[in-house]
Amino acid sequence: MTDREPPPTPHAIAPFAVRYRAALADPNVRDGLLDFQRSWKATRDEQIASVEAITGRSFDALRGELAEIKDGVLADLDGHLARFRARAEAAGTIVVEVATAADANAYIADLCRQRGITLAVKGKSMVSEEIGLNAALEAAGIEAVETDLGEWILQLAGEHPSHLVMPAIHKRRGQVAELLTRVVGRHFDPDDIPAMVRSVRTELRERFLTAGLGLTGANALVAETGTVMLVTNEGNGRMSSSLPAVHVVTVGAEKTVPTLADAIRQVRLLARSATGQRITTYTTFISGPTPGHELHIVVIDNGRRAIARESAVESALRCIRCGACANVCPAYQVVGGHAFGHVYTGPIGLVTTAYHHGLEAAAGPQSLCVSCGACATVCPVDIPLPAQILDVRRQIAVRGGGLAWAKRAALRAFASRRLVDIAALAAAIVTWPVQSGVFTRIPRRLAPRHLGWRTPPRVSWRPAHARPALHAAQPPIAVTGATGRRVALFLQCVADRLAPEIPIAAARLLRAAGAEVVVPEGQHCCGLPAFDAGERDGARRMARATIAALDGHDDVVTPAPSCVVAMLHEYETLFADEPEWRDRAAQLRGRVHDLVGYLSTTARLPRGALAQAVAGGGGAEARVTVHRFCQGSNLLGAGDRLERLITDLCAIELAPLAETEVCCGFGGSTSLTAPEVSHGILTRKLDNVVASGARVLVTDNPGCVLHLRGGVDASGLRVRVVHVAEFLAARIPIG
Amino acid sequence: MPTIVEAFRARAEEARSVVHELATWSGVATLALVLADADGRIALSPSLARAQPVLSERLGARVLLPDPGDPARSVADAAVGIVRGELAVAETGSVLLVEPELADRVVSMLSLTLIQVVARERLVENLDAVATTLAAGGPPAYASLTTGPSRTADIERSLTIGVQGPSEVHVVLLG
Ligand code: SF4
Repeated sequence: MTDREPPPTPHAIAPFAVRYRAALADPNVRDGLLDFQRSWKATRDEQIASVEAITGRSFDALRGELAEIKDGVLADLDGHLARFRARAEAAGTIVVEVATAADANAYIADLCRQRGITLAVKGKSMVSEEIGLNAALEAAGIEAVETDLGEWILQLAGEHPSHLVMPAIHKRRGQVAELLTRVVGRHFDPDDIPAMVRSVRTELRERFLTAGLGLTGANALVAETGTVMLVTNEGNGRMSSSLPAVHVVTVGAEKTVPTLADAIRQVRLLARSATGQRITTYTTFISGPTPGHELHIVVIDNGRRAIARESAVESALRCIRCGACANVCPAYQVVGGHAFGHVYTGPIGLVTTAYHHGLEAAAGPQSLCVSCGACATVCPVDIPLPAQILDVRRQIAVRGGGLAWAKRAALRAFASRRLVDIAALAAAIVTWPVQSGVFTRIPRRLAPRHLGWRTPPRVSWRPAHARPALHAAQPPIAVTGATGRRVALFLQCVADRLAPEIPIAAARLLRAAGAEVVVPEGQHCCGLPAFDAGERDGARRMARATIAALDGHDDVVTPAPSCVVAMLHEYETLFADEPEWRDRAAQLRGRVHDLVGYLSTTARLPRGALAQAVAGGGGAEARVTVHRFCQGSNLLGAGDRLERLITDLCAIELAPLAETEVCCGFGGSTSLTAPEVSHGILTRKLDNVVASGARVLVTDNPGCVLHLRGGVDASGLRVRVVHVAEFLAARIPIG
Repeated sequence: MPTIVEAFRARAEEARSVVHELATWSGVATLALVLADADGRIALSPSLARAQPVLSERLGARVLLPDPGDPARSVADAAVGIVRGELAVAETGSVLLVEPELADRVVSMLSLTLIQVVARERLVENLDAVATTLAAGGPPAYASLTTGPSRTADIERSLTIGVQGPSEVHVVLLG
């Protein structure tokens, strides 16, 4: 993405800020998408379990296989396309390869002109949205009618799709009924969805029978046989590709697969991931023109080879456009695809938009991503979306303008421990009059956008690293694998200053498990906030300081799994070009553990060792539930480790928390740059907590603890939020 | 272990198809007459009408054949359509229709109720057979693996049966 001029955006898509505000102003979006995400997840999980049973292979094995197939094609895209072309042309198909959106549109408009075509019926095609085909045809005097129900509704409403698979998912039934009543001229009852569905059949029948051109996309091009594979549910794809005398397929070059058997492998995962179906109603294989008809296949590059050239994002081209990544994205749920994306929506849109529509088009929605990693867990072609999104952010940061000045200054200040200490002290003094308990109560009207929904944490007068309690003796309560080991405690910058009780509790627990705890000097921030913001240089500085500080201890343990994610995943990317630091980072990777992981393995206390009822709430009588740190579940594969540790050590039963692995909305910088998204995600979490009936909420990442505490306080809930270190340390038997 | 027929039936019913096991083409004609009510027309794909003259004999004046001049319009919204399926697939409850000719395709596309007839010995375990069948001897110009009646979930993800394609699908395992 270095030397290319960004291609023009084909649509009249409003600026990001406008789209973001519009999405927030429409409660239909978040309410509808919350229902949608919940029901989708249930059916998708069921279908993935079914394909695992049918094939006798795990989802990871199946998606690994599909990813390998796609990678094989990408390694020789031109060769595969040449094979496809040869077979298709032998069957009488016309195959055209074009470089740009404009070339594709011009080819189709010219074809219409030559054949005297003025009406086209159109099946759903994201590529046609990408290239702005409808507008181009309209300018050439050709009417293109969308025939997929969702796309048709949007065409009537003058909107573009907000989802790759379910284009009109942001609209609720009442809005659709009102639209149809106005446009079709008959009354539609919002609760009679079948009647609304039937209208697309009656309204479009004549168009199908008279159109001269049928336009569709393609889900795969099969090189071995010259076949176009197309999946649909409504039957409009079969009609668009059959009834008009000319059929034009618009398709991205990356859709090529080697064989029909490979296409079938894609089918097995596609519908399950897209709609939670075993298979779509129609999977059509077109291998040549119908006698008497014409078939043209327009294969479009439009930035795809630029993606293929960059190793950090190349695998984005594996995408089979199932939309699953959006369906688990908590930020997408709050604002929908019009804000979270451009033409391509959801997490994959944050990556590919930069190449199809330019960095500027890709910049706005970046701030909405909370980096929770949920997208990568469901992607059927195993695209490392979180890392790719961070790479696009890096590109935006390098180009400048992407990061607001104030944010960059704050990140720089954060890079220095001395500056942070001074700043924290200043903040503690300034906010002293409004501090109460663990919170800083600022009058809401002063800063409603950032603070009204979440009470900010109190800045500690004295950080953990300067408190004697961090170093206080704690006799071991059992012999464990950690007995006698020197454990370096990494405090985490946030907990050190905003929640010193967390590292202090962690130190006590480690000592109770027999470890010799040391707090290395010179530790500060692992560099994650800067990395998240795309500030790679700042991140590298902090990472080097962290690695140097943590050298030379048996184990490194932190109560902040977010820092472990940074050390395990991001340091490798950061030091890709610095072998010495890469090696030192690798050594650290072998020794670093998050507290829960360490207590679950090396420092495992005997079952029931912490089965003490404690005074002051949180005792055996209060219902306790657990929120899993999202990156722990999604990136570290922690699963239910946190729940198992608590039930095992404390001998208590936990109240189940629905969607426990879904992000709490903290999302690092998102709570500053897109506070409404953070708030929306937090609300979903707190609603689930209330429904669980629990009075104590235990979680394992300090950022989440502070965020959840602030949310609980601001909404007046009677729930105590504690870090797992505090929860467990309070149960250490005394004497 | 369910038999392959049981597995097919379960998956096809899950996709809202109705599965019948019939012995003869004459039985298929009877089924079509029942489904078409008193006066509904019954469209036959031309290739099937040629291969199984017994259908036209049994159905008599109710038969509707696509007009070569305007095949789509001539059979649009026929009460019942009958087509032959190449394979039935137990893994998904699907039927593979091989329809290079438009006149065959319009029947499976535009009838309100569709009967797909597949020889029992063409019932296969899994989708891999679709790839081998299509690849063998060069792929047909047009083939569709169909699974149940046409549907949408585009409005609030509410499943609604019957959009552009048939709203009722009957699969007959013949023989
Ligand atoms: S990135 Fe993966 S999950 Fe997202 S649409 Fe593409 S294939 Fe589906």
